[in-house]
Amino acid sequence: MTIRKKGYTHWEGELKESFLVWFPLTRLGIKLAFQRRFFRLFFFSSFLPALIFLAGIYISERLEDFRFMLKGSPPFLQITPNFFKIYLSSGLFLVLLVLMMIFVGSGLIADDLRFNALQLYFARPLRKIDYLVGKIATLSFFILLLSLVPGLLFILFKLLFAGNLVFLRTYPWLPLAVIGYSLLLTLFFAGYALALSALSRNSRYVSLMIFGIYIASDIVFGIFYQNFHHPYLALLSIKLNLQQVAAAIFGQKPFYQVPWELSLAILLGLMVGAYFILQRRIRSVEVVK
Amino acid sequence: MMAISLRETSRANFLISFRDVFKFYSFLGIHSRRHKLFFLIALLPVFMAVIFKSSQIIYGQPRFSGLFIYSNMIMMFFLQFLILLLALFFGTSICREEIEGKTLPYIVTRPINKIAFILGKYVAYTLLVSLMVVFSLTLSFVIMNVNRLGDLGIYKVLVRDGGVLLLGIWCYAAFFTFLGVILKKAIFFGLIFSFGWENVIQYFPGKTQKLAIVHYLKSLLPPLSQEGFPFLLFRLEPTPPGEAVLILLGLMILFLALSCGLYSWKEFIIDSQ
Amino acid sequence: MTVVVQTEKLSKYYGNVLGLSDVSVSIEPGVVGLLGPNGAGKSTFLKLITGQLKPSLGRILVFGQRVWNNPVIYHQIGYCPEVDTFFEDLTGWQFLTQMLRLHHFSPQAAAKQAEEMLDFLHLSQDKDRLIRSYSRGMRQRLKIAQAIAHDPRLIILDEPLNGLDPLGRRKVIRLIRQMGEAGKTVIVSSHVLPEIEAMTKRIILIHQGKVFAQGNIHYIRELIDTHPHIISIKCDRVRELAAALVKEKEVIKVFFTPDPHEVQLETRQRDVFFERLQQLILDLHLEVEAITSPDDNLQAVFDYLIGER
Repeated sequence: MTIRKKGYTHWEGELKESFLVWFPLTRLGIKLAFQRRFFRLFFFSSFLPALIFLAGIYISERLEDFRFMLKGSPPFLQITPNFFKIYLSSGLFLVLLVLMMIFVGSGLIADDLRFNALQLYFARPLRKIDYLVGKIATLSFFILLLSLVPGLLFILFKLLFAGNLVFLRTYPWLPLAVIGYSLLLTLFFAGYALALSALSRNSRYVSLMIFGIYIASDIVFGIFYQNFHHPYLALLSIKLNLQQVAAAIFGQKPFYQVPWELSLAILLGLMVGAYFILQRRIRSVEVVK
Repeated sequence: MMAISLRETSRANFLISFRDVFKFYSFLGIHSRRHKLFFLIALLPVFMAVIFKSSQIIYGQPRFSGLFIYSNMIMMFFLQFLILLLALFFGTSICREEIEGKTLPYIVTRPINKIAFILGKYVAYTLLVSLMVVFSLTLSFVIMNVNRLGDLGIYKVLVRDGGVLLLGIWCYAAFFTFLGVILKKAIFFGLIFSFGWENVIQYFPGKTQKLAIVHYLKSLLPPLSQEGFPFLLFRLEPTPPGEAVLILLGLMILFLALSCGLYSWKEFIIDSQ
Repeated sequence: MTVVVQTEKLSKYYGNVLGLSDVSVSIEPGVVGLLGPNGAGKSTFLKLITGQLKPSLGRILVFGQRVWNNPVIYHQIGYCPEVDTFFEDLTGWQFLTQMLRLHHFSPQAAAKQAEEMLDFLHLSQDKDRLIRSYSRGMRQRLKIAQAIAHDPRLIILDEPLNGLDPLGRRKVIRLIRQMGEAGKTVIVSSHVLPEIEAMTKRIILIHQGKVFAQGNIHYIRELIDTHPHIISIKCDRVRELAAALVKEKEVIKVFFTPDPHEVQLETRQRDVFFERLQQLILDLHLEVEAITSPDDNLQAVFDYLIGER
């Protein structure tokens, strides 16, 4: 047996390629987010709407017992695809996602740019796509926890409380709709937050941009709509575009008479724009003139 | 050397520090790329005004007059979004910028009175924001009222609105300066305050309305038309204008005093990594 | 000599973590090297001197005055931080003139002084470029420039040689020595021990938040009696010399090295031994090539005191 001296030795094992090269980035991003005490409080509070909706599902199965509370309001407690659409695309839920992006996403790339960490990342066997996938996966973890998981749990609990599969037989496409819309939310918000994070080295500024652009799009829509009353102005608002697509996916009538395909095109366009920004900004070497 | 003699009094040091800090951050404000971007953001109402006016010219028979749109839509955009966003960024930057950028050692190891630093930087940044907003407001006003510019009576509206916005900027900036001194996540809490608290509380009747800065600002404006503005529906029970101005100035002084006191007392630990 | 920096039982705690403990030092004009491993408390000590931190216990006086919340004193203090950060949207020229303006220099005086300083530190050609485009060495020189441009009496330099090329390092070391000789007080924090040795013989050794030693390197070495001095002698007849050395009562140990013409010994009484050595050389008619003290240097003192030897 060779006697090894203390110190550096070559690795004599086999270097294997891994398909999860990006996973350490994701794990680190999630770990760093949960290290902040205030974020933990915010994160667990953001499940409150889901709990309220879950209570609604319970009450809907026990209507007789709660009839004294429900004078004139049975339509609300009918668990239909509209119930899921309301949860996943309400103004409050979307703002929660935006706030989540501020907490978790504002510094994801901005801090790497600020501390010149990209050179360290790309000095390792990590491609640009792996880096991006790692960052997207970090944000996806949180968005899906808030959207997909409660959505599927609502279906599950509805079936459990009902004690039969009638609900699923009536709406067999609903799980796919929940998955599809959750994925859309994930890709859109992840791309949106990461693109803005890649545009600056200052995460405070990025936080403001993430929130400001989202809110401003809605306010500008409101101002123009009140003057022009044209439904196509809804395409100006990020929130309304998401709600239009949600209505289409969950088989509901959209609030504004605008083809939902246009809203989807706008969202996809923004995602493509985000992709190009990320491609341009994420480089291992920065050229400063 | 050319430095001022060590025998200068504390008061002289304060005034000189204030002057030099003000000049430095005014200089920095003009040269900062980020601030130039905020100037473009501040021009958003001008862009909206151009669209409104163009549609009026093209289609004729406008539903609302230029002055009406300016007062009820564009002015509201300034009041309930733009000045909040700008005051939030610049206000929190007064303290947080140096800590996050790790440039605080350069400032703290100079003969600058700490109170003078906060006040000097506050005045420099709020002046910058004020200029951005006044420029944008004036341009929007001119565009929306281009066919009535000869009517001197309408300029009272511009002066009044400009005054209200300036008062709002200075008051909000003072509050956000205070947040920036006490909180690490000042932006997050500032957003919750600006677009949560300030928006929601004004819908509450009675005295609860008075717990929002925007209540006092709106008290200085004429009542908004409720025609076709469901999303702006609220029950403003205005405070008398003189009282509103005093309260706003009082809040500004209070938050600035708290900021200066805390900044002088607190030590900021900058990570050397 | 006037004491410039005086600390009495100075301590600093970050919550439950000890940054500095019970430090009582007096620093006089001249160059002083502040040494210690990472996390020893050097930066904490420098931040306390420059008033960026408040003492938890004890006190610190600079020029006989407290530093915390005393802005007037900063006319006489210059600080070069370790962190590599600037106001990146400014050029080198703008940055330096603005820093001088914050020292209440008039615009003309600030411009003149900045011009001289940038020229001295070889930054004149790049003065109109944005700082974000500067190399590491240029940024470091700019940091030093802003620390000394206003001609302070007390200059605190935290790792000033980081990122400098060999020529730059020599220039800065020479500048530091000149400032010390001119009567200024320069406190230099560094990990690079040979460079500290090139600047000064006066050191303060900090480890685990405590001052282990303060004073002249050689004086400190003398005090370390747990570690005998090592003396190396190169001559023609080492074995004969070694036989004679073994008989001397001041010599604790004699050993040979791979060099066939060298013998090393350990002694606790260096001065007494050197007197005997002279006589031995004459008695044995030796041709001595070299006599050195391999551990009479800063590295050895540093290692002995922090327990790594």
